Amino acid sequence: MNMTLRIRLVILLLSLVSVSTNASASADVELRDIYLEVNAQNLREGFYTYNNLCRLCHNLKYIKYSNLSDVGLSKHEIDVLRGTNGVSDTLAASMPPSVANQAFGKVPPDLSLMAKARKNGTHYIYTLLTSYYEKSEAVYDNHLFQGIRMPDIFEYSVTENPKDKELIDKRVQQVALFLEWAADPKRDERKSMGVFVIAYLMVLTLLLFFLKRRIWANLQ
Amino acid sequence: MNKLVAWIDQRFPLTQFVKQELTEYPTPRNLSYLWNFGSLAALVLVLQVITGIFLAMHYKADAKLAFDSVEHIMRDVNYGWLIRYMHSTGASAFFIVIYIHMARTLYYGSFRKPRELMWWSGQGLLILLMATAFMGYLLPWGQMSYWGAQVITNLFRATPFIGDQVVIWLRGDFSVGDATLTRFFALHYLFPFIIIAAVGFHMVALHYVKSSNPSGINLQAKDNIPFHPYYTIKDFFGFGVFLIIYFVFVFYSPNTFIEADNYIPADPLQTPAHIVPEWYFLPFYAILRAIPDLFGGVVAMALSIIIFAVLPYLDRSKIPGGARYRPFYRLLFVVFSIDVVVLSYVGAKPPEGGLILVGQIATFMYFALFTALPAISIYEEKWLRRRGLPPEVEELITAEENQRDIREGKTQS
Repeated sequence: MNMTLRIRLVILLLSLVSVSTNASASADVELRDIYLEVNAQNLREGFYTYNNLCRLCHNLKYIKYSNLSDVGLSKHEIDVLRGTNGVSDTLAASMPPSVANQAFGKVPPDLSLMAKARKNGTHYIYTLLTSYYEKSEAVYDNHLFQGIRMPDIFEYSVTENPKDKELIDKRVQQVALFLEWAADPKRDERKSMGVFVIAYLMVLTLLLFFLKRRIWANLQ
Repeated sequence: MNKLVAWIDQRFPLTQFVKQELTEYPTPRNLSYLWNFGSLAALVLVLQVITGIFLAMHYKADAKLAFDSVEHIMRDVNYGWLIRYMHSTGASAFFIVIYIHMARTLYYGSFRKPRELMWWSGQGLLILLMATAFMGYLLPWGQMSYWGAQVITNLFRATPFIGDQVVIWLRGDFSVGDATLTRFFALHYLFPFIIIAAVGFHMVALHYVKSSNPSGINLQAKDNIPFHPYYTIKDFFGFGVFLIIYFVFVFYSPNTFIEADNYIPADPLQTPAHIVPEWYFLPFYAILRAIPDLFGGVVAMALSIIIFAVLPYLDRSKIPGGARYRPFYRLLFVVFSIDVVVLSYVGAKPPEGGLILVGQIATFMYFALFTALPAISIYEEKWLRRRGLPPEVEELITAEENQRDIREGKTQS
């Protein structure tokens, strides 16, 4: 009896909603829609924003320097960026993990798959970065992710001027779009290939349908 | 060519086999498109095996490398993203096809005599498929993979007396880890071949008892048509329609069936807020959770799948066929379908508040419907007879009874 009780407890702990050790997205914050479109310029600028700000702490361990030509960087630009790194090296954070661990209490997560690892990931990233607020005198928190350890690096919460705020908003959206690409770099290829495959199948299926009708017409 | 065929025919019944099982194989002419789903399941099986073999060439079954190797497939392998998305979408497609195939069997009473062995082998196939899918889901080594496997293997703790040992034996470790991953990979590669063999059994049985049909009555010879070309072309057309829908998901919404959490590498130290199994396990998962006791829950869950086996004996009606001419049976089918949808919904949500009760009522309904079937089918037959059966059906029933009497040596006059 005691045994089953214990097992039940284990199961409950494993399967029920429980408070996880890491605060997760609060359900009551609605994700904001991105209005910028996916184009070369936004992706490119999104990359540079990542490179100048996010990359201080966050890796993109699945993105190689050579991949950056997909977001519109020229060979020369890539060479300047990578310095002594090889073209097949992946994008590492500027801050060594051990230092980051000391500063924040944990190593900041890799961002390669962030846009896929959250429901509605792209919008999640955009909303997260624009949900910082001043909780009390010089203490900041995030509506979407209570207790987040990442500082408000875009300074969204302390920017008053609407024009500046709008600019931050735009840059954050570009970063989100860039990270969406990083999580799914084959998206464009996939979507353009799909058109041909599905068009081919539609023609084939239509022909099969007529053939089926014709063959079945032989039956009385 | 003819000479070669003749040479083979002397040694192997090639021509005879093709004739008997394909070109002249008699098939009811009145099959609806719901009878396409058997061949569709075979198509998905082939797609899964082929894409799976190519994935295995690039995948690394190692707790340290597995997650990265999947990303390597997605990013670096030529068309790796296509192969992987076909495989992951194919898993869900497989269950959709199989569940429709089963629903058709239930609705039209295709499981009834003399097709019990088809029904049972199909059920074995479903269980094999579930095991294969479950083990395959661990391989990407994401958070949901890991914790899903942790929760499900933990259920075996309910085994009497040796529960703890069984769990360790399954996992190869005290918790899901590298040993679990490697054995799941090996078995995930093996099981499809066992499935193929079981499909062989399913097909031999089918070609012996022949297809059922929407009328539920075994047709006369004149109502049968040769499988080829009529059903070969109809099946191919079905393949076309299926592939269009399948590839729309593969190319335009490949992550519909992949939980976002599974793009986070497995972390044994951090339990996700909400562990959900794949959608195709949800009704059974809901039944598991409806019973507040682990042992009871596991038994109920196992029973919810095994109970299908006794259906041919629960249905006591002498009226042939399924729901089409049997209003009470049809009602049972509809209520059962709704019940399964409710269970799936409950299984997907955290068990809180009123949902717990809803899950328990739906679980009760699930088993109650099976339990009520004998009485309902007997009552239904009486009810139908009171209203007067169509003479053809009456004739069929007496013919059937006479035949049974002859077989059992009870011939009168």
